[in-house]
Amino acid sequence: MSTLPMDHNVDCLSDDPRQRAPLVLGHEQFDTVTSEILRCNEAKRPPLAWTICFVFSVALMTMLMALVGYLIVTGVGVWGNNNPVMWGFPIVNFVFWVGIGHAGTLISAILFLFRQKWRTSINRFAEAMTIFAVICAGLFPGIHIGRVWLAYWLFPIPNQMDMWPQFRSPLLWDVFAVGTYFTVSLLFWYVGLIPDLATMRDRATTKVKAIAYGFFSLGWRGSMRHWHRYERAYLLLAALATPLVLSVHSVVSFDFAVSQLPGWHTTIFPPYFVAGAIFSGFAMVLTLAIPARQMWGLENFITMRHLENMCKIVLLTGSMVGYAYGMEFFIAWYSGEIYESFAFINRAFGQYAWAYWIMVSCNVICPQLFWFKKIRRSPWTMFIITLFVNLGMWFERFVITVTSLANDFLPSSWGWFQPTWVDMLTFLGSFGLFMTLFLLFIRFLPILAISEIKGVMPQANPHAHDHHHDAEDHA
Amino acid sequence: MSLDGNRSDLRLGGLGPAVVVVAAIVGIGAAIATLVIDGMACSATFWKSYLLAFMAASGIALGALFFVMLQHVTKAGWSVTVRRPAEAIAGNLQWLWVLFIPILILVWTGRGAILFEWCDLDYMHSDHVLSGKLGYLNATFWSIRSIVYLASWALLAAFYRRQSLAQDRDGDYRRTMTMQWWAPIGIIVYAITQTFASIDWVMALQPKWFSTMFGVYWFAVCCTGFYASIILLLIFLRSTGRGADVFTREHFHDLGKLLFAFGVVFWAYIGYSQYMLIWYANIPIETAWFAPRQLGPWTWVSWLLILGHFGLPFVLLVTRWTKRWRGTLGLIAAWMVLMFLVDVYWLVMPTVPEAALMHATSWDQLAQQAAQGTLPLGWNPSILNLTALVGALGLLVAGTFFFLGRAALSPTHDPRLSDAMAFENY
Repeated sequence: MSTLPMDHNVDCLSDDPRQRAPLVLGHEQFDTVTSEILRCNEAKRPPLAWTICFVFSVALMTMLMALVGYLIVTGVGVWGNNNPVMWGFPIVNFVFWVGIGHAGTLISAILFLFRQKWRTSINRFAEAMTIFAVICAGLFPGIHIGRVWLAYWLFPIPNQMDMWPQFRSPLLWDVFAVGTYFTVSLLFWYVGLIPDLATMRDRATTKVKAIAYGFFSLGWRGSMRHWHRYERAYLLLAALATPLVLSVHSVVSFDFAVSQLPGWHTTIFPPYFVAGAIFSGFAMVLTLAIPARQMWGLENFITMRHLENMCKIVLLTGSMVGYAYGMEFFIAWYSGEIYESFAFINRAFGQYAWAYWIMVSCNVICPQLFWFKKIRRSPWTMFIITLFVNLGMWFERFVITVTSLANDFLPSSWGWFQPTWVDMLTFLGSFGLFMTLFLLFIRFLPILAISEIKGVMPQANPHAHDHHHDAEDHA
Repeated sequence: MSLDGNRSDLRLGGLGPAVVVVAAIVGIGAAIATLVIDGMACSATFWKSYLLAFMAASGIALGALFFVMLQHVTKAGWSVTVRRPAEAIAGNLQWLWVLFIPILILVWTGRGAILFEWCDLDYMHSDHVLSGKLGYLNATFWSIRSIVYLASWALLAAFYRRQSLAQDRDGDYRRTMTMQWWAPIGIIVYAITQTFASIDWVMALQPKWFSTMFGVYWFAVCCTGFYASIILLLIFLRSTGRGADVFTREHFHDLGKLLFAFGVVFWAYIGYSQYMLIWYANIPIETAWFAPRQLGPWTWVSWLLILGHFGLPFVLLVTRWTKRWRGTLGLIAAWMVLMFLVDVYWLVMPTVPEAALMHATSWDQLAQQAAQGTLPLGWNPSILNLTALVGALGLLVAGTFFFLGRAALSPTHDPRLSDAMAFENY
């Protein structure tokens, strides 16, 4: 690894507008980038930390499977869902996990269209996270339907009984929205992986690896024609994925907002849910990136500047969520509707006030710490803050779902929701599923987008500095 | 790199005063015509037209202010050159508050009910929902809020313009850092003031109605107005042979994308979400606002918005070449300015026929009444609408060219200037 030439030897945190901060540190040649990123994939044995995490995650996942089995055998009575709180943990967890996925799509699609080049260091694992989060999300409505063996009725499949799903229900729109989202995210992720899979194929040390990576790299040879088509396809997929960032969580918000229930029926829900989803997603990206970058030694790619940028997005989206909370409260009063006002006062001071204040302090107050440069540049402080944000966003969905159902129009039909041990352990187990998939991903696929990272290095631009011309030959 | 700010193609030169004079004459002439046609009576139509014109002009300027701050928040490079024209449009916020004074006087002289129903205290006390809002909708608090909005916009617009012009003179890159430092704070101030301004000046026209999304909808309106206007402005400047190397095809392409993203798709997303949620839940107090917009002649205006503000420009702007060729982009932008005005018209003008809604037994009955013209839907197209709009927009154009004429058409010493002049859309 050679040192950087003087003119690039600027601090990656520099705010000097005369020069763009470098996005990759410490590499002058492309081949060292490849070998550094693939170091963890190509090591004979995974790091000990990985093995410990993996064993733990698989254990949690096994617990999840056992609990789902118990649920199917026994029935939804094992959960705390009751009348009037028909929607308990399953819907809360569903919305939570779908939200987590959104950062990946925002990074891969919207930041791409906005030419935010720093995204290249984080897009790959954020996209992977999207897919795994959507898998976790899809699990919950699936097991909430009671007769799990009839889950395929959710899809509009013609059958002899002429049973069609209710097209006017936003729950059905969810099936389409989340299904499309999963498909497009998977495609986008896979298309982006192709050149890197070919790199892994070319560097494979065993026959099995060569065949496996070779199969999935679809005969990629890196010719100009391949690159041209690849970049076209990538741009088109980015454009197609962009509306999905907005549509998926908007449709999820419709689940609530099309009703007449106070606290659910409010027009700001679609953009508010989208902002909240990106907020929680970025928090999760940071939660995973900070330890991963430290353990895998990826500080040269996920620089402090990248972390700082993500903190700023967390601050922005957290403030948008705060705006929505404020607007809901203001309009609840301004509308003069007693039920609406009650719903909000009840959230803040009623039986679930503790959940409400956890939500407000984690989602609105906590991210405001990111106004301070010092905090945006201290990884472990960020890590703790993002844990609180994850917690807060789960509680947001809990507050929305449970408080409005528990105390609606008629006091005589009010209720109280208490999760059972099955509820809590199932939610915990979903983290096992998520982490297992994620750990498998970082072991067997490149955690960073190798070819894209090379594209944002100054050496990739032949006109930037003439003396870098020869660097390209090492690609 | 830096540009020579005295290059003749980067200065308006004699064109500036010429446009200012012509636009000002047209604007003031139209304003006088509005008063004369109204017979100095200051009728309800006059005031509605006045508010319409003020909201349209301030909407475009607000979109510009947001754009300028957004470029600093994101440390954008591509947009450095087009920021100066945006600063000039936003600069109008430094004087637009003058146009609000007549509305303040109207409210304070006790005649406010002609425009804002909430000024009619008897009406407000007649209903327990409305009387509950008096703590917010009253002349004193409303005026204080309005002054705060106008003052903060004027200050922000002045700050960004002055810093940018000063950088042309002294070439100090630290001014960029100062502007960046203030931008997130400015955007927060903007978000709050723009939201509540739209609630106070437009949503409160129908004091019973509410929508938590309204501020966001108004944001989409401002974006449409601004992106369409700046495209037209840059095309005009290019057509006079100015700024060929600073307002390139790439800038038109990018501004076209932003018009497509925010003026067409985001606008439709917000409009659709607001409408669909209210339609689906079907709660009378909420649907009342949409009812007149689906009755009688307003139906056609609503359809025009759906097809003309979304459908048509979506198809036209989705391809690449229409955004890169100034001829097509200019036509689309001109159409979008028109659609923006229709949208503001559609937001400000209709009135809710409350009594009729309360007594109607069916939608068909209402539709019948609307067809007969016996429903007070606020459908009253008047030459005053047009003259007021021409007046305010004429003054906006005059103001924009006044500010443009005072400096180079592009920042000349911005540290990221080279980004803006070299980038390409692949």
